[in-house]
Amino acid sequence: MKINRHVVWTIAMKDIKGITSNKQVLIGLIILPLIFAVIFPTAFILLIHFVSLTSSDIEIMTNTILSGLPNGGIKDTINTLPSFNHQIIYVVVNYLLGSMFLLIPVINSMMIALNSFVGEKERGTLESLLFTPITVKELFIGKVLSAFVPTMVLTIGSFVLFGVITTAITYPIFNGFIFPNTNWILLVFWLSPIITLFTILIEVLVSARSKSFQEAQQIGGLVILPIVGLFVGQATGMLIISPIILLLVGLFLLMINVLLLFLISKYNNRNTLFESQV
Amino acid sequence: MAPIIQVEGIQKQFDARPVLHDVSFTVNKGDIVGLLGPNGSGKTTIIRLLNGVIEATAGKILVNNWDPHSQGHDIRKISGILTDGAGLYHEMSGVDNLRFFGKLYGVNDETRIQQLLEDFQLADHQQKKVGTYSTGMKRRLGIIKAILHNPTILFLDEPTNGLDPEGIQMVLQNIHTLNKQYGTTIFLCSHILHQIESVCTQYLFLDHGTIIESGTKSELETKYIKEISVKIETNADINQLNPLYKVVKQDGSFITFILQTKDQLPKLLEEILKKQFWIHHVEIQNRDLESLYFQIRGVKNEDK
Repeated sequence: MKINRHVVWTIAMKDIKGITSNKQVLIGLIILPLIFAVIFPTAFILLIHFVSLTSSDIEIMTNTILSGLPNGGIKDTINTLPSFNHQIIYVVVNYLLGSMFLLIPVINSMMIALNSFVGEKERGTLESLLFTPITVKELFIGKVLSAFVPTMVLTIGSFVLFGVITTAITYPIFNGFIFPNTNWILLVFWLSPIITLFTILIEVLVSARSKSFQEAQQIGGLVILPIVGLFVGQATGMLIISPIILLLVGLFLLMINVLLLFLISKYNNRNTLFESQV
Repeated sequence: MAPIIQVEGIQKQFDARPVLHDVSFTVNKGDIVGLLGPNGSGKTTIIRLLNGVIEATAGKILVNNWDPHSQGHDIRKISGILTDGAGLYHEMSGVDNLRFFGKLYGVNDETRIQQLLEDFQLADHQQKKVGTYSTGMKRRLGIIKAILHNPTILFLDEPTNGLDPEGIQMVLQNIHTLNKQYGTTIFLCSHILHQIESVCTQYLFLDHGTIIESGTKSELETKYIKEISVKIETNADINQLNPLYKVVKQDGSFITFILQTKDQLPKLLEEILKKQFWIHHVEIQNRDLESLYFQIRGVKNEDK
């Protein structure tokens, strides 16, 4: 059956409005980007710049990252920086904060998507929806979009904010732009949407199967965090090695997403969805 | 009239727990059918099955000649449903709920929404969040949601639950109007029998997961009412009346007689009047739906 886009958007917009009109939910979603895109980078860069660091850990880490970089352009650029502190800031901004940044789309989309079906079940409205002339596929796509759109808006918004703040602080230090590089662009516009979709697809499925938000949260967290943790943890490594790796990892996740979508399209049974709430 | 709902030998189990077994009935186009039965007898399950929201374990269902399992989408387009909890979004305003469900049913007609809000006396409350509504207001909004797209079949699960007498009147009046004006087939579940008595044209009695009896009220009356209990307000002296008319109770000027057939009633009244007594009020007591309900359940349980 043909997908009715109008219906899909109606469902998605209803949920998005539900998020934006609920202050508590909205604050919960904004706090994370605020920490990872504003407070953390600002504090980190300023600390390194103004306080002369003696921590050997950061020194070791920076040296490890530097030695891991392939010879050529970027390595030369870093090596010609005026001080070791400059080098640390450069490495932190371009390699370390990137992996942390990925937590914004992952955690936010996880929280929204987990609530997608369970929220309807807990409010007793899922049955109303199942009685309407919409297909379960349309309902699923609507739910996926309702998590994807706000997450991407928050992610790109965070990226812009992060960029402005970082540039404002680092420009005078470096007398030039050290941000953004190709890695960041790929991270935000390629890997983030894919990893967001991956998280959402899994969590929407978990939400459809769970009876309560608590249950969904426990199962959803267990399923997604180790997998995503792996990617986020490796992100620094991927950023160091090369943008090509980012591209390939994205491509791999994209293929898994297609598989998940296929799985969801098979899961178009009202009866199963109905019985998951009783 | 052509049948619009045909159900044959339906069975439904939830985790091996049988809810319905061998349910069969037919509903004709334009009828107002009351599905009566105690709580937990499977009334709501039947509505869910008819709309293809859940699947039957066995049996055959046709709604407007569509199979709910494979053509549920077509059925859901022409049917309107009021579920027990009304299934509304409490954090959204009344009118936003209607706009949302309207879009899902392909209705984008603001004039119709406003008209219905007016008809059900919710126009002044439309901007308030549904969470702040009283039970009666939620139910009325639920009914608007159900009839927004002018359904061919309307399923109402306990439509008068939680309503005050005014609200009950409003709902029953609307059910009647919909049926008369648009020929809407109405399938309503209830256990508040005296309320639906005035609107239904046919009844289905559900008990222990099966339809134990069905028919129009007069059909059921003929079948089940063997004796007639009549309460008459009169100054008649019972000793002067034919002993054929058994008196079971006398409370001042109210006398209750037991008659063998309805035909005896005019004769009794004639005799009272002939003897120069007055009559102010006559009422057959055991012909209401509630008496029928208990009579049918009693007989069927004895049969077991």
